[in-house]
Amino acid sequence: MKYFLYQLKKNPLAIVGIAIIVFWLFAAFIGPSMMSFTHTQIDADHQMARPGTNGHLLGTDSLGRDILSRIVYGSRSILTVALLTSIFSTIIGILLGFSAGYFGQKIDALFLRTMDILMAIPPLVLSMVVLGILGDSSILSLTIIVSIAFVPATARVSRGVLLTEKSQEYVMAARIRGESHLYIMFIEILPNTTGPIIVEATARFAYSIMMVASLGFLGVGLQPPTPDWGMMVIENKPIIDQAPWTVLFPALAIASLVIAISIFSDFVSKVLVHER
Amino acid sequence: MNDNILDIQNLNVHFSTFDGLFSAVNNVSLALKKNESIGIIGESGCGKSTLSFSIMGYLAKNAQVDGSILFKGEELLGKSEKELEPYRGNRIAMVFQNPYSSLNPSLTIGFQLDEVSMHHQKLSKKEARAATLQALEMMNLGDAKGIVRRYPHQISGGIQQRICIAMALLCKPDLLILDEPTTALDVTTEAVILESISKLKESLNMSLIYISHDIGVINKVAQQIVVMYNGEIVEQGPKKEIFENPKHPYTRALINCMPRGGVVKEKTKLNTIAGYVKRRGANEGGCPFSDRCEKKNEVCEGQYGIKEVSPRHLAACDRAYATDIPDVFAAKLAPLKRQERKQEEEQENLLQIKDLHKVYGTRRKVYAVNGVEFAVKPHSVLGIVGESGCGKSTTGHMISGLYKPSKGNILFRDTDISLSWNKRDKETLKNIQLIFQNPGRSLNPSHTVERIIGRAMQKLANITDEKERRARIIEILKKVDLGVEYLQKKPSQLSGGEQQRVAIARALSISPSLIVCDEPTSALDVSVQASVLNLLNDLQIDTHVAYVFISHDLNVINYLCDYIMVMYAGKIVEYGKRDEVMENLHHPYTEALLSAVPEVDPTKQKKPVDLQGQLPDPAKKIQGCPFAGRCHKQLGSICEKEFPPMVQLSDDHYYYCHIKK
Amino acid sequence: MNRSAQMMLRRLGSLIATLVVMSFIIFLLVEIMPGDVAQMILGQSATEEAVAALRQARGLDDPLLQRYGRWVKGVLVGDLGESVYMQGVAINSILWRRVGHSLVLAFTAFIMFVPLSIFLGVLAGVKEKKPADSVISFFGLATMALPEFVSGVILITIFAVQLNWFPIVSVIPIGQTLFQNLDILVLPALSITFVMFGYVSRMQRSSMIGVMNSDYIRSAILKGMPRKYVIFRHALKNALLPTITIIGMNMGWLFGGLIVVETLFGFPGMGSLLMTAIKTRDVPLIEACVLLITIIYSLSTMITDILYSYLNPRIRFQGGQR
Repeated sequence: MKYFLYQLKKNPLAIVGIAIIVFWLFAAFIGPSMMSFTHTQIDADHQMARPGTNGHLLGTDSLGRDILSRIVYGSRSILTVALLTSIFSTIIGILLGFSAGYFGQKIDALFLRTMDILMAIPPLVLSMVVLGILGDSSILSLTIIVSIAFVPATARVSRGVLLTEKSQEYVMAARIRGESHLYIMFIEILPNTTGPIIVEATARFAYSIMMVASLGFLGVGLQPPTPDWGMMVIENKPIIDQAPWTVLFPALAIASLVIAISIFSDFVSKVLVHER
Repeated sequence: MNDNILDIQNLNVHFSTFDGLFSAVNNVSLALKKNESIGIIGESGCGKSTLSFSIMGYLAKNAQVDGSILFKGEELLGKSEKELEPYRGNRIAMVFQNPYSSLNPSLTIGFQLDEVSMHHQKLSKKEARAATLQALEMMNLGDAKGIVRRYPHQISGGIQQRICIAMALLCKPDLLILDEPTTALDVTTEAVILESISKLKESLNMSLIYISHDIGVINKVAQQIVVMYNGEIVEQGPKKEIFENPKHPYTRALINCMPRGGVVKEKTKLNTIAGYVKRRGANEGGCPFSDRCEKKNEVCEGQYGIKEVSPRHLAACDRAYATDIPDVFAAKLAPLKRQERKQEEEQENLLQIKDLHKVYGTRRKVYAVNGVEFAVKPHSVLGIVGESGCGKSTTGHMISGLYKPSKGNILFRDTDISLSWNKRDKETLKNIQLIFQNPGRSLNPSHTVERIIGRAMQKLANITDEKERRARIIEILKKVDLGVEYLQKKPSQLSGGEQQRVAIARALSISPSLIVCDEPTSALDVSVQASVLNLLNDLQIDTHVAYVFISHDLNVINYLCDYIMVMYAGKIVEYGKRDEVMENLHHPYTEALLSAVPEVDPTKQKKPVDLQGQLPDPAKKIQGCPFAGRCHKQLGSICEKEFPPMVQLSDDHYYYCHIKK
Repeated sequence: MNRSAQMMLRRLGSLIATLVVMSFIIFLLVEIMPGDVAQMILGQSATEEAVAALRQARGLDDPLLQRYGRWVKGVLVGDLGESVYMQGVAINSILWRRVGHSLVLAFTAFIMFVPLSIFLGVLAGVKEKKPADSVISFFGLATMALPEFVSGVILITIFAVQLNWFPIVSVIPIGQTLFQNLDILVLPALSITFVMFGYVSRMQRSSMIGVMNSDYIRSAILKGMPRKYVIFRHALKNALLPTITIIGMNMGWLFGGLIVVETLFGFPGMGSLLMTAIKTRDVPLIEACVLLITIIYSLSTMITDILYSYLNPRIRFQGGQR
């Protein structure tokens, strides 16, 4: 912990990153109550209004909806889905990756084969097709499907760490005590794998945002009335030359969140690497 | 103008880290004449590697250096990388510990050698290649033409190291620095390489700095010994004097820590050094050894400083044999009175191994253990010795249950336990335990000492009450000389020696009948090794547990074991009581092995048997004697075709050889 | 070379197995999609009998495996079926042109990001902790998870809307070919480049740093070899090798990016075709597109593997005695 703070001081960039993440968390929780407009409220007299007109700090879209409010309301859903996805995919990754790495041989071969097949389709394509077919996307369906698309990546990391630890002598010592497999995997090995797994989980969080936003952009994300940042970009794209702010601001919101999380993830890996 | 090749004056190397500035090399002054060879000996943290890298000008960015390093009169410190290039590999060359990682895996051997002469001596490709082939032949590498076309991964370790040495010698440097070059190699390979090095030193008129933790190795290649401790030179002098008449208490203690011929557990304990090495802050002065020294008195700090005590013999302190404080351990290893162990004439063998085999792999097979048969008597210590690939570790793993035998039986008190760990019953698991080579990795880094030791008790000895368990843990910790304060510590907070003690406590906590010790001291410093060996011995006398002690170090085996079993390429070649095996050599391999072990006493130099060739290919089943093809006493083709018969010399001494006595 | 021929065959075999399983899964997924295909073709006003008749004619009521078998047979002879949405137009006539366009776009992105990422990644690694490294690292970090449409939108705003250097929308005027309108490739390819650069340059950087800290580089330096020579002759080969694998592994993101970017820019490629197919529930078209994407992606992964095995001496020259 002390080292964390020490490194934080040396890394002003990380401080900025964390600040931005905190800002968005704040926006998601309390933001909506602070907005003067709701995300569906239509200001018919001020459609495609420039930022600053009539109390619309970031302008309005073609229907007259306040862009700032829509962004703030939208932060909730994108953060929720991305957070749930990264946690869920990490957990499944641990379960699958650990089992494959620990038991080896047939189970590992089965695992690798399955991952090969799952990886044969690019994750975005897979998610897009499945969600598109299913029709209405909810937070649950988005989480589950994107998690499945991410499992090959998270499981690979978990399997890798497990294999490294499996060859260590303390695992052998546990075996000749007659410990059960579950005990060895989760009580002996897991505590020593938290470093790489946490780093991977934070990176996964960034990729989850990317994926959710992209799916929203492609029209298979959360449906209206829930405002989706990606959806905001695509629906306002036709007027990008007349009212670029309608597209830019949601895009910049996505960019800021993604970059902040990436910076944070990089910082976490720097800190945890030293701890070893 | 002196003819010193190297003149180091008042060298200080400090490193700035997160925890502050610490001192790696402290006020070191050293002179090396032309053609002189010195050995630098010290344990981990003494600064010997840092010293050698300082000479080469290769230190990390957080290093602060001051002082002077003169090479043939020229100051090396302060030179830029570009200015140092003409020296490196050309006038000063270095050979490292791990030959495989020192070679570039993507370049052929030939390329890596040619470039040295091409760059430094401006030779053409053809000329450079000729020089390369010549250098390789100089190191006794036949098939030099084949080697230059290969990549490092296609070549074995011993040959790789010879290649690295050849590479260092290409430009006929004035100074050759070798940093533990044979530590990662087998003892017989090491012996061959050491011979080559000392011959070459003569023929090439080089000065040599040989760094090692093993004084026996240094004795073979160097005349002068330099003893370093915690960044400082504490003593230096001719090897005979250092051995017979050390002046510094550390030197004396260090030499007495080393097991060697004639030093056995029945006669004496090994000397140990209390405490452990602590990092030195940058501005600490005074004697670095005082907090661990037995001979410390009120006035010695004030008199600390390097002085000449006899010609060419310098020491920072001369209290090694000071009489105002009595010796805890005898100066010369005097006979020790030992409690006579009750001679329990148990006829029943504790462990019986019958025709044990282990084959790995499905498509590409590895024949690790090829039919071994032996017995372990209760309360005894059996040493299994051999070089890499002999199958000793695999055998130990099968005994403890980590591997399942491919064929054969392991009988524990007449019960067949040839099963892997997850099929063994609790009673068996309780009775057979294991201590590993690398103590840092054998303890779970996330668990506390209390949990590490207590878990075994909980699982196998049914001690479920937490209070009772804790009391027992404290008791066991006392037995291994660790106090109550260790309960909540994590392995990363312990030194190597302390970690190994915890591992021993863990194994002992459930009172097993047999402990397999798999190279338990190979990763430890000499002084730490000594205290662990003493501990293992005391515990064995105390609890009557039996050990199967696996090691590649014959001196250690000689110290601790009652019986010795020599393995080679998956088979037993000789088995017998320790004294009989060590003194009346019977199997040619045992003879070769013993002749290769470096001697701590510089006056006792032996000529090693020159073993050519390599271990047989583990992917193939061996027909005849596994040692055929390399044996210096080979009879003829019978050795290759037929497996040799057992020659029984007594009830417990036999070996397998065609040679009739 | 018998062993490597064996390896090749095995890889090919597993590729085919993967494709079979994948195609079946896709087929399954698409077929269980809600909504009646026949209904969609005939429209809302169709009678129940008409719908039933059409279902019969197209064999839509046949068991799943039979339909799958028919489809596979069709695929093997190159008949990908007919588009539902486009009223029976043969998929082959619309798909291949689009595939070509997408490949050109992918190729453009490829030649943009590969040399750039490798060069800057190596540079950052060699100059670790210096200003050049900080800048390159930061860019890599920022872009590695940046969605392609985000960078695309920013690029459009700057270069198309404000500066007018490139068209806002990347369409090909009717009657012309792609090659007559190469400027429409630039912004889309650039958008993809950002993300790929982020990931690859970071991996390249850490690979380079790892190599520069290795024992064999230490040996080379202590042999007196000059620094530049050490970097180019000793370090580079070892640092570049893993990058081949990394690029191969990330082709998936490249393909995903294609879809997003084609949708954003209106580029007539396979990605936008797939988008349309999903929106219109055009089952045969979805199946065909996904199948094709899977094939191309798997092939590229396999080529990467083979390239890596060829270039890595440890794998190419076996027979390592320990």
